[in-house]
Amino acid sequence: MLEGERILMIIYVILKRTFDTEEKIVIQNGKISDDGAEFIINPYDEFAVEEAILLRDKHGGEVTVVSVGDEDNEKELRTALAMGADNAILINNEEVEEKDQHTTASILAAFFEDKAYDLILGGNVSNDNSTGQVGPRLAEQLNIPCVTTITDIEIEGDMVTVVRDAEGDTEILKTSIPLLATAQQGLNEPRYPSLPGIMKAKRKPLEEIDYDELGIDEDDIESLTETVTVFLPPEKQAGKILQGEAADQVKELVTCLHKETKVI
Amino acid sequence: MHLRLTDEQQMVQKTIRKFVEKELMPLENDVLRNEREGKPSLSAEKMHELQMKAKEAGFWGINTPEEYGGADLGQMMLAIVQIEVAKTFVPFQFGGSADNILYYGNEKQKEKYLMPTINGDKKSCFAMTEPGAGSDTRNIRMTAVKDGDEWVLNGEKTFITGGNEADFVMVIAITDKELHQSSGGRKGVTCFIADRSMGWKSEYIDTMGEWGPASLIFENVRVPDENVLGEVDGGYDLGLEWIGFARWVVGARAVGSAERLLKMAIDYANERETFGKPIGTRQAIQWQIADSAVEIEAAKWLVLNAAFTLDQGEDNRHAASMAKLYGSNMGNRVVDRVLQIHGGMGYTRELPIERWYREARLWRIYDGTDEIQRLIISRNLLKGHVKVG
Ligand SMILES: Cc1cc2nc3c(=O)[nH]c(=O)nc-3n(C[C@H](O)[C@H](O)[C@H](O)COP(=O)(O)OP(=O)(O)OC[C@H]3O[C@@H](n4cnc5c(N)ncnc54)[C@H](O)[C@@H]3O)c2cc1C
Repeated sequence: MLEGERILMIIYVILKRTFDTEEKIVIQNGKISDDGAEFIINPYDEFAVEEAILLRDKHGGEVTVVSVGDEDNEKELRTALAMGADNAILINNEEVEEKDQHTTASILAAFFEDKAYDLILGGNVSNDNSTGQVGPRLAEQLNIPCVTTITDIEIEGDMVTVVRDAEGDTEILKTSIPLLATAQQGLNEPRYPSLPGIMKAKRKPLEEIDYDELGIDEDDIESLTETVTVFLPPEKQAGKILQGEAADQVKELVTCLHKETKVI
Repeated sequence: MHLRLTDEQQMVQKTIRKFVEKELMPLENDVLRNEREGKPSLSAEKMHELQMKAKEAGFWGINTPEEYGGADLGQMMLAIVQIEVAKTFVPFQFGGSADNILYYGNEKQKEKYLMPTINGDKKSCFAMTEPGAGSDTRNIRMTAVKDGDEWVLNGEKTFITGGNEADFVMVIAITDKELHQSSGGRKGVTCFIADRSMGWKSEYIDTMGEWGPASLIFENVRVPDENVLGEVDGGYDLGLEWIGFARWVVGARAVGSAERLLKMAIDYANERETFGKPIGTRQAIQWQIADSAVEIEAAKWLVLNAAFTLDQGEDNRHAASMAKLYGSNMGNRVVDRVLQIHGGMGYTRELPIERWYREARLWRIYDGTDEIQRLIISRNLLKGHVKVG
């Protein structure tokens, strides 16, 4: 967006409330139990919030964080405001019974339909379901370019240079605004919400809308996927310490790798 | 009545918790190693680096007035912060604050001592206790005699926290013997700000804890008249104010430490198996966990109440004594149970429990012993200053 000579960026961050996977996860009745779980901003979305703030501070403009979920998401939105975002929007989808990534992306697409924006940032994946679907699906529905797993972003006028992590390799891409990009670890180090920021967060605008105010029908956004079961990964086995002469240990190691772990 | 933290308080709590988990807890092994090698727990550079990182996020001078560059968030916020920071034994303190009584200084003293202390350029200590005057603060012997526009100080102070590292001390000495006697020790003493360069000496005292206090020796130390803090002969109240401030904070420290320790015990009780079952399935262990949890919760409310009372501008001394007495005893009981639940491992130096065990013992002694807190609480009740219920 141009305002006189100055380029002002309109940046949105899509943000998910997830549970802290560093805490103990308990499965109850085929679902991850909310009891005693700690909730946080999805760590990859936190990189996105930080990058949005950095870009706004550099180019001027405004950062709006958007979250699809229920009233509890207000907490994470307020945290993003305390980090330095300017506005927050909560789209309540509590009423939708069957939800998946398609649901979230479609609600967001409806929200963005009549919005002007330069950049939509999100996390590469969420640390709970880890599908990495919402960002790309949203870009597709909005018909804008999408770059995933970014580790650097530079904006000059309408041109955007992005560095992305391509499963270990580095790709440098040139694209243009408007753009949707998803953040990978290494993009930045998210700041702590600041103390003055926390005290101000309450006074910053947080708007709540119901998904059906966006003119969408529950039938159109219901899950396309079905969760069959949810289970914890097998418990880590204790390590094995090999004994004896070095030469014997090497032999035993090779045997183990062959027979037990079957990696060779 | 609203017995919940506000949204802001919860967010501060969460932020500090994250800071402690991300920045401080990873240093725990280094701290243990340093201490075992007799080095400072945390180097001054590391402390400064951490304080600056916190400052970037505005965590600086949590209850320092805004005009001195602080955030001035009051005692409740301080309590929340103290509880979170106590979840690690890494001896970190947020920067940007100074001893409460330094604010009574005149403009020159504020410039020379208060501001550099807030900014971390100078280190302070406070000295009331003497070899013959601990609980009985009125029995001090140190004297200050006026000579021209200077005071000459003679005597010995002991158990002074930070006394070996401090650049200056706020020291209490008798300035009017007769008045001191006739007032039962409440008047006739004065608080002086004495720079180390004025000639007092300090000697480290080895304790059961990881950082030792110091004894301070004053032999004809000449302190200029302009370094009298507050009124001449009015130092006793300043002393009480200094001691009183930190009192409930000891309770907060106990709550945070006990919460972390109890978490360790719960994890261990779920993991450690004896006779084919986790020890957490045994009632003997379960009851220790339950009692600890209840006592921590009780102590936390006493601490928060002491902080809240002060924020309301009310006298919180009674509440502070209760928070200190119950909190520090709770902390000792919890660390003892947690050590017991860990069995032999708890007693080793592989785990930090023994370190906490040694630190916790101090809570019942300094800033007024258990017995002195009981004396204060019962006196308030017996004399009718505070009513039951
Ligand atoms: C590590 C450490 C740091 C300290 N830091 C400081 C500091 O920075 N500045 C400072 O000025 N002081 C400091 N102190 C001193 C501390 O405040 C005193 O040690 C404490 O007040 C107790 O005094 P005392 O050691 O002389 O014990 P005493 O007063 O001799 O007490 C001995 C015992 O008798 C009990 N007792 C005393 N009087 C009564 C009574 N009337 N009724 C019933 N029981 C009673 C006490 O509770 C205690 O159990 C520190 C002490 C320690 C150990």
